[in-house]
Amino acid sequence: MALPNFQVHQPKTVEEVLDLLGRHRSSVKLLCGGTDLLIKMRSGAQAPEHLVSLNRVAGLKTISYAAGDGLVIGGAARISQVGKNPDVQRLYPGLAHACSVMATVQIRNMGTVAGNLVNAAPSADTAAPLLAYGASLVAVERGGRRQIKLTDFFTGPGLTVLEPGEMVEAIRVPDPPPRTGSCYLRLSARSKVDIAAVGVAGFINLDLSGKVIRCRLALGSVAPTPVRCPEAEAMLEGQDPGPELIARAAAACVRTSRPIDDLRATASYRRAMVQELAQRVLTQSLAMARGGGS
Amino acid sequence: MKTPSIIGQSIPRLDGPAKVTGRALYTNDLSLPGMLYGKLLRSPLAHAKITRIDVSRAKALPGVKDVITGADIPQVKYGNWRLVPQSQDEMALAVDKVRFVGDEVAAVCAIDADTAQRALELIEVEYEELPVILSVEEATAEGAALVHDESEGNVSLVRKIDYGDLEAMFAKADYIREDTFKVHPVQHAYMEPCSCLAASEEGDRVSLWTSTQTPYIVQCLLASTLGLPENNVRVMKVQVGGGFGGKMELRPWEFCASFMSLRTGRPVKFTLTRADELAFGRRRHAMSIYSKVGFSKDGKLLAKDFQVMLDGGAYNAMGPTATFLCGTFGNMLYNYPAYRYFGRHVYTNKPPASAMRGFGAPQAAFAAETQMNMVAEELGIDPIDLRLMNAMQTGDVIPDVATISSCGFKESLEKVRQISGWDEKRGNPKPGKGLGIGCFSFISGGVFNWFNTKYNFSAAEVKVFEDGTAQLATMACDIGQGPDTVLRQILAAELGIPIDKIRLISMDTATTPKADLGTWGSRVTLMNGNAIIEAAGKIKDMLRPVLFSELDLNQIHDVAFEDERVFVRANPKKGMGFAECVYKALRGREGEPLTARGYYTPRNKGLVSPAFSFGAQVAEVEVDTGTGLIRVEKMYTAHDCGVPINKMSVEGQLEGAIQMGLGYALMENLIMDDKGRTLNTTFLDYKMPTAEDMPPGESADVITYEPEGPYGAKEAGEGLAIPTAPAITHAVHQATGYRCMETPITPEKVLRALGKIK
Ligand SMILES: Cc1cc2nc3c(=O)[nH]c(=O)nc-3n(C[C@H](O)[C@H](O)[C@H](O)COP(=O)(O)OP(=O)(O)OC[C@H]3O[C@@H](n4cnc5c(N)ncnc54)[C@H](O)[C@@H]3O)c2cc1C
Repeated sequence: MALPNFQVHQPKTVEEVLDLLGRHRSSVKLLCGGTDLLIKMRSGAQAPEHLVSLNRVAGLKTISYAAGDGLVIGGAARISQVGKNPDVQRLYPGLAHACSVMATVQIRNMGTVAGNLVNAAPSADTAAPLLAYGASLVAVERGGRRQIKLTDFFTGPGLTVLEPGEMVEAIRVPDPPPRTGSCYLRLSARSKVDIAAVGVAGFINLDLSGKVIRCRLALGSVAPTPVRCPEAEAMLEGQDPGPELIARAAAACVRTSRPIDDLRATASYRRAMVQELAQRVLTQSLAMARGGGS
Repeated sequence: MKTPSIIGQSIPRLDGPAKVTGRALYTNDLSLPGMLYGKLLRSPLAHAKITRIDVSRAKALPGVKDVITGADIPQVKYGNWRLVPQSQDEMALAVDKVRFVGDEVAAVCAIDADTAQRALELIEVEYEELPVILSVEEATAEGAALVHDESEGNVSLVRKIDYGDLEAMFAKADYIREDTFKVHPVQHAYMEPCSCLAASEEGDRVSLWTSTQTPYIVQCLLASTLGLPENNVRVMKVQVGGGFGGKMELRPWEFCASFMSLRTGRPVKFTLTRADELAFGRRRHAMSIYSKVGFSKDGKLLAKDFQVMLDGGAYNAMGPTATFLCGTFGNMLYNYPAYRYFGRHVYTNKPPASAMRGFGAPQAAFAAETQMNMVAEELGIDPIDLRLMNAMQTGDVIPDVATISSCGFKESLEKVRQISGWDEKRGNPKPGKGLGIGCFSFISGGVFNWFNTKYNFSAAEVKVFEDGTAQLATMACDIGQGPDTVLRQILAAELGIPIDKIRLISMDTATTPKADLGTWGSRVTLMNGNAIIEAAGKIKDMLRPVLFSELDLNQIHDVAFEDERVFVRANPKKGMGFAECVYKALRGREGEPLTARGYYTPRNKGLVSPAFSFGAQVAEVEVDTGTGLIRVEKMYTAHDCGVPINKMSVEGQLEGAIQMGLGYALMENLIMDDKGRTLNTTFLDYKMPTAEDMPPGESADVITYEPEGPYGAKEAGEGLAIPTAPAITHAVHQATGYRCMETPITPEKVLRALGKIK
């Protein structure tokens, strides 16, 4: 089916974006790479009359890092840009990995991290690592700005707390302290060009004695939204984990997951893989943290 | 006579540059003035009576030019097995009932695609649901609902093979095993979705451009279903983006485009989407296979009882041939003193299965080769040694089927053992790693005339001109596999002129000589190659006398055609240019051009094929025993395709075959819900291996000379698609202990076998 009629707007500033969102409130969508949105429009699932493109908005593609402040990813920054950024590769290896293996080269060159989050697929590849890094979103609307923790952002498959008139201006990720290790592992049937059947991201920060000060674990594709694993995190904090504790923490991740049977995998395989991948993620992150950190 | 140097050369595809630069035209690229856009309304139900269809609202929609249903079309059934009319079970549009989700119910054409789509939505159809049958087991159970009322218990065709004294041989056997296997359906996934464009002409004639691998079959069946003389239908093709067996029948859109073009007087085009193809398109047969084998304790094969049920889906399509060939492939590689085959083609309420690269062989060989590996293990004999003990050789006879006129199977086994480091690696297994073997044999074209053609199976017309060029006209179909290049290579070799001096007129049923049965069964190189050699021979017969009379040669001399010259072989200085020779030959013919035709039809070549390819393949895998993920690290292949005419083309076939075999073994699967609806209708979820999944490979050609083949060549197209899945299965078994008896091999099945998932 051909696309329905719609009008594309190419604003140059955030203010213009917000004006356009307000003016066409009844039937408008933000457009970044379009790699999710256009598919939905083609299938008829969405039929907005106005598309407001973020691609020409000044400064929105910027990725910046400052020691102490952390990382800021612009609301229109491409996935491939993020994956290739040296600071991201050095300090946020889990995110860099997600951004270099998800989807395809072409999709990564067009698709954005903000689009990936707002689209809110349970399998969104950047979500689990960003949850593990403790990211939050800067949302703007005509009335002002607010910061939304990523843990509070997803409400269901395809659903978020974002209001209709709001846009994601940036994604902020805290600076990882010394003695931090982190990674993201994903599984799919095909080596490339595949949606993850299971994804697990981890972040571990150790104190000088080697005990865990802070741990964050996040899962993708095994619940209606990407999720954090508070039970497992609590088990690890304050400990100097060995293989046995790692296995028990991974089992807690399995308890947090709520996988379903679908085309890509059965629930029981997914549960087994949460266990397996969580162990690998924790082992790798710990090794990295013990080696001085990323 | 020495083989001309162009034979065996890796000449790149002549159509390659146009294809990689996007200049090549495919059917959907064509358009004609006033063209209408066709669309099909398909059944949402797998099995139902049609109680009412109302097309009046669709017809009334502005821009809609025609709407047709099963009631509007000639009530003529079609199917490729014209020799057995009761096997012809299909109509372009459903009459009275629908038999699978996607069965075509109505067709519309309109001034643009959106209008056609809206018209479809205005057609009202009422159905009365019938019981849905989704497996061969359900279909053959007592009292099962019938997909076709005429069938007996949903079995549409039975094939039996029986030779040797089976009971006596099993009684003699020291070792007997019985196994059951299940293989799943996969799809051709050709790059180009089906498309056709029909244009009616004066006098009830119609021209059809279509993405097909069998133009002649389409022409004949289209004529019979339209109720027109065969000669009123002209079928042509432009480039075809792959077929693999999925485009070798008359299809509903070809009929509907032609029928509506005749009715409206305007050209009509249909183009399918990928989702249409995955959800409703032809596919490789799923099968349930029972196999019982008997061996002596020292490894001599004595007997095999092979029973197969093919899940044919809603119509026969090419299922009857697959049913025959499955039995033939069940015993092709080894000498069986006694063999019995019982094959049943079973109707179910699924999209019809049909021919797909290997045509029954990948399934039969998956079972046969896997079982061979199990036997080797139990008898404590190396799997390659066990095969060598029983392997076919040149001169061996498959009872009632063929005498093998060339066979490099044993050499292939020895060679693959060597290049894969088999003895070393297999003997020293490492955790998570494995090596496995699978073998194949395949036909070089079929002998059996199920289409019941009155014409030759292949034909070629050669013309030569005084400028030293030639023209080859043939109905042979290049669908991406390369005959447009390879056939010209053969003619260039025959006439001794460069390949770029040959113009090709291909595949137009009105202007190329009759007939060609099409591109399937790996027949084109051998059969059309032979036709070209015959035609070229006749041309040379016309040219040779020029040399004799001009040079006053003694009649004992042999004349050679090489390097654009015609000369005395014993004294190459004596001769003349090819162009000059043609020029002189044309003198005295009173304006009659130099044209000759050649034909090939296999005669006295048994029941199956004039020639057989052979080969062996080893897969090396690594399995992550934590996740069950399998990585194929390397593939080793040694195969006998006779004399390769174009080495690069053979390598291309091998690489493509490994990609397909990999998908078959590990990833690809058509997943269906309990209502018969296909769930994975995109390439995201129908998982074909990507370039990054491709393992490196190493291969060796085992060269035999096939006396029946052009320059000793035989097939290299389909056979190679057979061994990969059993080889990977065997390797995964060594790596993990998991033996796949029900394809595909998935990470989850591996982990279940390892006890890691309950
Ligand atoms: C072939 C293919 C493979 C894919 N593989 C993967 C994969 O492996 N992993 C994966 O996670 N995803 C995958 N995707 C999905 C998709 O590419 C990603 O989700 C991508 O990140 C979406 O970004 P985009 O810029 O294209 O979003 P768009 O399609 O432009 O937008 C998506 C949604 O977000 C909204 N939006 C976009 N930007 C903003 C903003 N700044 N503020 C507020 N709302 C906004 C839009 O209005 C829209 O609703 C795949 C897609 C395809 C087509």
